Amino acid sequence: MTESQQPDSPSPDRELALASRSFWAEAWRRFGRRKLAMGALVFVGLLALVAIFSPAIAGTKPIVCKYKGRLYFPAMAYFNPRWENEVFYRDKFRKRYPENLKEKDPDSWAIWPLVYQDPFRRVHAGEWEGQPGNPTGADGRPSRYNWLGTNQEGVDVFAQLVHGTRIALLVGFVSTGIAAAIGIALGALAGYLGGWVDMLLSRLIELVMCIPALVFILALIAILENPTIWHLMAVLGITGWTGIARLTRGEFIKLSKTEFVVAAQALGAGRFRIMFRHMLPNALAPVLVPISFGIASAILIESALSFLGFGAPPPNPSWGTLLNAGRSNLQMWWLIVFPGTAIFLTVLTYNLIGEGLQEATDPRLREAGK
Amino acid sequence: MFSYLVRRLLLGLLTLVLITFVIFGLVRNMPGTPLTLALAEVDPSRRISEEDLKRMEKAYGLDKPWPEAYVKWLGNLAQLDLGRSISRKQPVTRLIAQRIGPTLLLSVSSIFLAYLLAVPMGFYSTVRSGKHDERAVSTVLYMLYAMPTYVAALFLLVLFAVRLQGTALELPLFGMVSDNYQDLSAAGRFWDVLKHMVLPVTCYTYASLAFYSRFVKSNMEEVIRQDYIRTARAKGVGPVRVIVHHAFRNTLIPFVTLVGLTLPALLSGSVILEQIFTWPGMGRLFFEAISERDYPTIMGLTLMFSVLVLLGQLLADILYAVVDPRVTYS
Repeated sequence: MTESQQPDSPSPDRELALASRSFWAEAWRRFGRRKLAMGALVFVGLLALVAIFSPAIAGTKPIVCKYKGRLYFPAMAYFNPRWENEVFYRDKFRKRYPENLKEKDPDSWAIWPLVYQDPFRRVHAGEWEGQPGNPTGADGRPSRYNWLGTNQEGVDVFAQLVHGTRIALLVGFVSTGIAAAIGIALGALAGYLGGWVDMLLSRLIELVMCIPALVFILALIAILENPTIWHLMAVLGITGWTGIARLTRGEFIKLSKTEFVVAAQALGAGRFRIMFRHMLPNALAPVLVPISFGIASAILIESALSFLGFGAPPPNPSWGTLLNAGRSNLQMWWLIVFPGTAIFLTVLTYNLIGEGLQEATDPRLREAGK
Repeated sequence: MFSYLVRRLLLGLLTLVLITFVIFGLVRNMPGTPLTLALAEVDPSRRISEEDLKRMEKAYGLDKPWPEAYVKWLGNLAQLDLGRSISRKQPVTRLIAQRIGPTLLLSVSSIFLAYLLAVPMGFYSTVRSGKHDERAVSTVLYMLYAMPTYVAALFLLVLFAVRLQGTALELPLFGMVSDNYQDLSAAGRFWDVLKHMVLPVTCYTYASLAFYSRFVKSNMEEVIRQDYIRTARAKGVGPVRVIVHHAFRNTLIPFVTLVGLTLPALLSGSVILEQIFTWPGMGRLFFEAISERDYPTIMGLTLMFSVLVLLGQLLADILYAVVDPRVTYS
């Protein structure tokens, strides 16, 4: 971004002193001063790492293995079941890798995940050397082998939590991404074009805002007969864009009167070029704030829906599904405390980031010099 | 003001028609009807014939396409008739009337509690602003604010209903009354309901408490820097009187608009919390109606919620003009 696109500097003398710094560099510096916000950002980074490397952290499939002279990556099946090489189906591994690898090819070797536990099924005795089978029911309290306990069916909670991170982050980013795309596009159109377009779009925003969110979401999900996690994300995106649209509209109305927009118009730039090349970068900072809060609320709603039994169908190691299992077995506290804490920390993190962004990019707060 | 009110009301009416139209369409297109869902539950021997099903569909107006049914629903609504619940065989208005009491019991007591605690806490944070104890309190409140209510509800249930079972601190797991409620004396009944209320009210309260006290604090901090506060201090007004009389009174404007916006939450209840605590309120009724595909009840509740949201917004705007003479709508 060039300096010429920064006409609305909050205080001219300050801007002079920091002439070499762009708006975003300045915002980043301010954001960095808030320890909590930075801590939150680090935490999100950690969560992202856990999500990306979830099959390497907890799983029953080797990350890499050499089998009959070829290299395979069976752990990738946790991302997409179709990525599991069919040689393992043909050779009838039946999801038991350790014994079958040795038995069917003595020369084989494999690198295993850190924890031999599966998010979808119970690990039985004798599957992994020196590790007993998972306990079921109320016996599944946290232990050496099951760090966070097991659920009613004996599935490891730690493995579910690790793989659930993927769902939580995916839901947060994808559904908020959809909401942001809809919200920014409609808000920009309404704010820049004005007139009857603004009138119509504003009514639409009001309408969607007034529909009780849960009615809307539950009804939309019920219409899809077999909702997957992707449908859920789409529904959350379709219902969650109004706040972003409102804010974008306000920003665009403000910006449409500034000199650089008038200059662009005078130069004959097209409407869409002005809106999305010239104005959007300048309106983006305030819009990032509701996006950050939107991620938090998307994660919250997804786990609430899974908790109510309206989420994606099993097998689905969503944090909300775990909580739901704990609700009918309250004496198994580990089914509630660990996923509950995970949801809480993630929501807290995004709230902190949102607040940090707000203070870093809001010119009114910047003038206060804090 | 009058023409503004008329314009807002007309616009609200239009929005209402659009909302109910959208929801009606969505609800009628959900797979399964109240009749087929009810049939799926009873044993196969009692399954009714195709003809009977057709006749029942006709009786409930389910045989017509949904836009036609919507117009009929609107017509009935104009005569103040919300229809009869299909799965419960009762007028929808009576169902709502039954469920509104328990919801109000929770929401009114929690709002009362939240305001009662939030205002002094806001004062406290203003006075001790920046000190260590205030930072600690604010941090805890901020974390509470991020705590999802259903997670908190489950934590509390694990603690009070399961861990502390058998001790004096044990609290009931679910419901509004115990099984032996009918046999209790008046005082016993009161105590029974009170015990059942503790956990749900706590869950309703803590999040709004965090929100309100932050709200009070941020408004107070703006006011406390004003010249008239310095003047008041300079002329020797005591610190308590400055905070309560001079500062707080001037933060009432945003506070009042907040009251308008809490109106819908007062009556709609919380679907998730009422579900967790098996509380017989509006949120639970809505959840049950959705799973039973009970169209008239869903529509009745949607209508009520939307009216409340729109009224709340209008109320907030009007109150704004009432408490702040600078705001006019002419």
